[in-house]
Amino acid sequence: MSDCERLSDRMPDVAMQRAAWTTDEAAHLASCAECRAEWDLVLAARRLEASAPTVDPTAIAAAVERRLATDRTAGRRNRWFWAGGAAAAAAAAITLAVTRGPEARPEVAPVVAVETDPLVPLPELEGLETAQLDTLLQTLDGPLAGTSAADSASVDEDADAALEQLLATWEG
Amino acid sequence: MSASPMLETPSDHELASAYRAGDERAAAELVRRHAPALGRYLYSSGAVPDEIDDLVQETLFRAFRRLDGWRGEASFRSWVFAIGGNVLRDEFRRRKGRQVLSLEDRDLPDRADPDADLAAAETQEGLRCGIAALPRLQREVFLLRTQQGSGYTEIAAALGTTPGAARVHYHHAVKRLKELVR
Repeated sequence: MSDCERLSDRMPDVAMQRAAWTTDEAAHLASCAECRAEWDLVLAARRLEASAPTVDPTAIAAAVERRLATDRTAGRRNRWFWAGGAAAAAAAAITLAVTRGPEARPEVAPVVAVETDPLVPLPELEGLETAQLDTLLQTLDGPLAGTSAADSASVDEDADAALEQLLATWEG
Repeated sequence: MSASPMLETPSDHELASAYRAGDERAAAELVRRHAPALGRYLYSSGAVPDEIDDLVQETLFRAFRRLDGWRGEASFRSWVFAIGGNVLRDEFRRRKGRQVLSLEDRDLPDRADPDADLAAAETQEGLRCGIAALPRLQREVFLLRTQQGSGYTEIAAALGTTPGAARVHYHHAVKRLKELVR
């Protein structure tokens, strides 16, 4: 660090009378035009500060306190506003859901509760006449329409043999 | 302030903590402590004298609203001055770049050498214009350094820069302003 830089770093403290120039520093200041110009500038900045209009700290403190109080009140009011708004929206949604009635609700598959006798596995058969039940039984006893050969009971022996062969290849 | 066993002259940290805890008188004490220096700082930065009260008030109001942002790396005063710089910048913008400085004739004391007083006043007003015309960081570093005696580390913490950069800003400011006081 050069002498000029060292002096520059010390200038604020000396200007504020927190320190004083040493003999060497004073000699450098006397011989260095750049440092003297900077020192003059620092002193001028101090004089500028001293020439500033004064403010009334008590009046400003009161004004700041008032603004902070107003700000806090407004903040609380805003919080209540938003909380109230949210609550009102929720209440409106619930009210709407309750008062619109089932006809206005979106269509959903109705859930029908059917009371069933646990001993009757197919309660819909209970309403059929005897003749109707006989007809139904006959259709169930007969071959099912649309079933493939593979599904039918008459799966042939060739198929059985092929399956056994396949299993044998899997088992090695 | 609370009647807790606080020091007779509470530090800025203690007052800030008390305010955060709900003690509004702590804010008033901090305002009383720093408002005069803040006013001088804003004046030196180029604020119109008639508006300094309002600017000081606005600065301190903003400071207390965001007091949680002060973590103590910089002193409370330097931190508030940095906010003051923002307030002044907003004021400059509000005026859309129009000159904020008042260049009205200043009342001069009745002295034996009125010419010398006038010359001194003109130099001061010229310096104020020069400081106001500096880039913001140069201006703030220069004033914190010359008027508050703050070190570069402290200034860097307040202005969100590095001590090395603060030093460079200071020297650029000095270089520009030297001519005004020769």
